[in-house]
Amino acid sequence: MKNFTTLKILDLFRVIFERFEIDYSTMRRILQVKLTMDGRRPTTIMSQNRGGEKKQDANQFLKSLWFYAFIGLTLIPLLFIGDNFMFKMSLIFGVLMFLIMTAMISDFSSVLLDVRDQTVIGTRPVDHRTISAARAIHVSVYLFFLTAAIVSVPLVVGFVQFGVIFALLFSVTVLFSDLFIVAITALLYYVILKFFGGERLRDVINYVQIGLSFTIVIGYQVLARAFEFQGLQSSFEAAWWNVLLPPVWFGAPFAVILNGASGAYYYVFMALALLVPLIALWIYLSLLPTFEKNLLKLMDQAGPSKKKTTKGMNRLASLLTTSKEEHAFYQFAERMLKNERDLKLKIYPSLGFAIIFPFVFLYNGYSAGGSLDSITSGRMYLTIYASMMMIPGIVIMLQYSSKSKGSWIYHVTPLQSDAVIIKGTLKAFLIRLFAPVFVVISILYGFLFGIQIIPDLVIVLLIALIYSVICFRMLKGKLPFSQPLESAGQSDGWKTIPFALLIPVFGGLHFVVTNVPFGIWIYLVLLLFIVPLTWQRGLR
Amino acid sequence: MDHGPGKILSLKGLTKWYGEKLVLDDIDLDVYEGQIIGYIGPNGAGKSTTVKIMLGLEASYSGEVEIFGQNIKESGVSYKKRIGYVPEAADLYDNLTAREYLTFTGELYGLTADSADYKARILMGVFNLEDVYDSRISSYSKGMKQKVLLISSLLHDPDILFLDEPINGLDANSVMVFKEILAQLASQGKTIFYSSHIMEVVQKISSRILLLNDGKIVADGSFEQLRQKNKEGSLEEIFNQLTGFNEHQNLAEDFVQIVQRDHR
Repeated sequence: MKNFTTLKILDLFRVIFERFEIDYSTMRRILQVKLTMDGRRPTTIMSQNRGGEKKQDANQFLKSLWFYAFIGLTLIPLLFIGDNFMFKMSLIFGVLMFLIMTAMISDFSSVLLDVRDQTVIGTRPVDHRTISAARAIHVSVYLFFLTAAIVSVPLVVGFVQFGVIFALLFSVTVLFSDLFIVAITALLYYVILKFFGGERLRDVINYVQIGLSFTIVIGYQVLARAFEFQGLQSSFEAAWWNVLLPPVWFGAPFAVILNGASGAYYYVFMALALLVPLIALWIYLSLLPTFEKNLLKLMDQAGPSKKKTTKGMNRLASLLTTSKEEHAFYQFAERMLKNERDLKLKIYPSLGFAIIFPFVFLYNGYSAGGSLDSITSGRMYLTIYASMMMIPGIVIMLQYSSKSKGSWIYHVTPLQSDAVIIKGTLKAFLIRLFAPVFVVISILYGFLFGIQIIPDLVIVLLIALIYSVICFRMLKGKLPFSQPLESAGQSDGWKTIPFALLIPVFGGLHFVVTNVPFGIWIYLVLLLFIVPLTWQRGLR
Repeated sequence: MDHGPGKILSLKGLTKWYGEKLVLDDIDLDVYEGQIIGYIGPNGAGKSTTVKIMLGLEASYSGEVEIFGQNIKESGVSYKKRIGYVPEAADLYDNLTAREYLTFTGELYGLTADSADYKARILMGVFNLEDVYDSRISSYSKGMKQKVLLISSLLHDPDILFLDEPINGLDANSVMVFKEILAQLASQGKTIFYSSHIMEVVQKISSRILLLNDGKIVADGSFEQLRQKNKEGSLEEIFNQLTGFNEHQNLAEDFVQIVQRDHR
């Protein structure tokens, strides 16, 4: 096993761990094993080959850092908006903390809440404190890499532009914001673990994670509105509710030191930025043993299960599917999307984006145009296309499952073609996930723009049907729920980008058509012919 | 029942609730050195829960658990150095190779990496697995994984062994080797908790049989004692009798009929 550089660096802090009564050498050993495992791709059932697998270990996560480094580049322009550091640094921390927090929740929660450790390590003479610490460090190591990938280029640019003080300040505040995120997330889980147990606990954790992802998205929007844009000059008036926005805390030190800003608010923000992470970390470390004890509740067996069937949904399923096999896969996919928590965690937040994005675009149009009339009389309803942004992201996730090994069932059952599997799954996705979002937005838009947009909405719906088939091409023949969820990575994020770029094309086409007399009716009829064609031909 | 002098494990009034469900109902039990205990019972009777409690995986219970004369709630984790465990679901880090996994778990028990590696390699050889010692466990068959778990539970020469369906997936020859290993360990004074649903094996290897039903111990004694008491020929029949089960014929008939029913 490799002796990772990360661990050698960690050795420097040995004393700190020992102060907290953590068995350092055991913790180090656990981490070494974990890092080794992370470097190995999980095998899928069909790619299992016996014997010597001598493939080079390559950590998927470390590869995905390029993606984050790329996103980090988008922070650079923010460094150059105006002279107000309070403004630009809060914005930068907003983006940064947003990225880290979402990664923390969706990718690293499973590490923090891993119960497999209990049977393998917990049954051996290792105390709870050490196991927990190993887990927290494991997460922190990744967060460190993640943060480094995002900020390193902006840091260098900032150093060149604003000097060494800025660079130092930036490094320290970024470190504190990381601490803040790890500790707060862990404490949140601690509270949930304390009050719930068993199956219920797993559900609650899932909902909280989804809710949190939602909150972050909305909070991010609020942050952007906290500042008034006035040309390139932006001003900042501190208000009491800014205390609720952590990115603002981390912006304050820059304003005070580099802009010479002063005032009670700034000092409060600075104090929060410094103290909250430290206090949260301290509480977390002292709660470690109880955290671990409560974690055991995740292994509790479930009570008797309740049977829930909705007749309406069943009838809809029979109505929408054309064969018995397709019906079976529709039901199967529906259950999987409903019950698989890990998958839900990756999928549901994008539903939140899908609801919010059209309105964000609408709002931006409103700020630009100035009055409600100027929007409702125009073609702003086309912003509904933004809700389709969820489709590529979710469709690419449909290939994964945390129980992917169950996919042998596809291969042993006498199925004529894989098309029924895909059709059933795609229909289940459209009905269960896309339709609710689309209906909600359509109703709201109907009120805003009037009933004359109904044909347009139908067109959008038909485009969505075609678009999801196009997106299914991304999977390159991989069957739904057949790949291990652990192998889902940021490379998927790359793959969805070209497909996401199709959405504005569709929107643009629609815009052009609205300018032609009777254009939308002709377009509508045309689409009614194209949709069945794509569903028949496109899913081979 | 013959047993050595040393009391090694004792449960007093052990009770465990999962929500509203009573899983273990006031269990008292003393276990002595050198016993091989066949721990049996229907699904959901509380067997695994008892073992989890004794391993410290389950902290919310009432009653007392003493292992090596110390209450495990007070003694810290060091008592686990003398325990070996084979879990029922083959939970292990299967992205590691056998060498990596066994060295790792050996080290957790306090062995040095070198001696764990050395012993593990030889033990893998005993089970004819030296060729795959450096392959990932995820590429192993069920029986091979089980062998790795067995080795991992014995590498540090524990005094108590908790085995949950340990011969799951093993071929007949390996089972014979394994049974012999257990017999030899017991004769040296090691205590073995053997939990299984395969009654023939339990009947053969156990020196003492514990039957758990609905969270209570409903039978406790050697196979001979149980047989005299219940007037049945095999452990399987005793098991059926004590758990109040006598409708296997009817259930089987129903099952076959349903399978063959043509419904469209």
